Amino acid sequence: MAVFHPDMYRYAAWLCRDKAIAEDVVQEALLRAWKSLDALREDAAAKQWLLTIVRRENARYFERRRLETVDIDNLTASQAALLAEAPNEELNDLREAIYELEDDYREPLVLQVLMGYSTDEIGELMGLKQGAVLTRLHRARLKLKDNVAQEERS
Amino acid sequence: MSPADEMMNCDAYREMISADPTFDGGAGHLSQCSDCQAFRTEMQSLNVKIAMAMQIDVPVLAIPELPALDVENVVPLVAQKRLSKPAWFALAATVMLAAVIGVRMFGVGITEESLAEQVLAHVDHEPAALQVSDTPVTDAQLLEAVPADIARLDHTAGLITYARSCEINGNDVPHLVIQGEHGPVTILLMPEEAVAEAVSLDGANIHGIILPVGTGSIAIVGAREEKLERIEKSVLNSVMWST
Repeated sequence: MAVFHPDMYRYAAWLCRDKAIAEDVVQEALLRAWKSLDALREDAAAKQWLLTIVRRENARYFERRRLETVDIDNLTASQAALLAEAPNEELNDLREAIYELEDDYREPLVLQVLMGYSTDEIGELMGLKQGAVLTRLHRARLKLKDNVAQEERS
Repeated sequence: MSPADEMMNCDAYREMISADPTFDGGAGHLSQCSDCQAFRTEMQSLNVKIAMAMQIDVPVLAIPELPALDVENVVPLVAQKRLSKPAWFALAATVMLAAVIGVRMFGVGITEESLAEQVLAHVDHEPAALQVSDTPVTDAQLLEAVPADIARLDHTAGLITYARSCEINGNDVPHLVIQGEHGPVTILLMPEEAVAEAVSLDGANIHGIILPVGTGSIAIVGAREEKLERIEKSVLNSVMWST
């Protein structure tokens, strides 16, 4: 499971947009995965299985906590930590723009770009049809493109 | 140029390339459209930057204190009757008799323990079904998930917020979710899966039951705190097998 820890953590971090919560979510997910290891039928499916558990743990966390909407100008230290590491200003702006994307757009983008998932696989994980996944990815990138253009103008 | 390329215009091409910058279709259109060539380059460049921006540092893995793995007890299942009230005895007797007949007629493909494991694993593997929602599925979605040749369902079961046809033990199984007092409650209609008696389900934070109904069974799974008895009654009252 440790092999997949970076993927689990990054996925959780971009889902919840908070490094501390992401660590909690991943810890819970690892425990849950360990307890139900016998449910994993094929080793080849391990990554998707673990990410599914992360996704579910993240949903559980927010069901329990009912966190407020994130305001990017008033982030907690743990939220701000997610944005504080970009190597240059351009990437920092882009990271903020990704951070501000709606969950529905951000999640498929993370799955595609970071996890290397196909649109079919994203649809399966998120319970969406492929057309809906394509639409969300298209809109997500257009939003980021507009944001980059706006930053360049300013 | 392929027919698909001929049909592709700038909007369609840009929609595809922005949804997936590795998209390699539309070569015919691309070769004739310099604007789309530029758009494609821009999207691929943006994608590289997105990937870099998403690469956050990962903290050292702190291994949680893992309990000893006891395979025998990973999914503790206790097969027992939970129905105790007189009215339930009558109902149980009826469905048990039907179940026994069903078992004798069709046989049981898997053990009850295995069926219970599959039910719990299925609930655990379909997180989209576990979202809290107050938006009902459409009649069309419900009909697609619960075809008339499998079961008939009236609207007394509760607010159905998720309906999908899934597979348990190789058979199509309508997977429904209604909203309980403590979150989503999963209902699996399994007309092909006979159980001799009610089987309790006990997962990590969930519990439930597989009830014998006619020649099949119905699984109901909710959060640990959820009181399922009322839901069990309403589900049993609202479902009728078509076969």
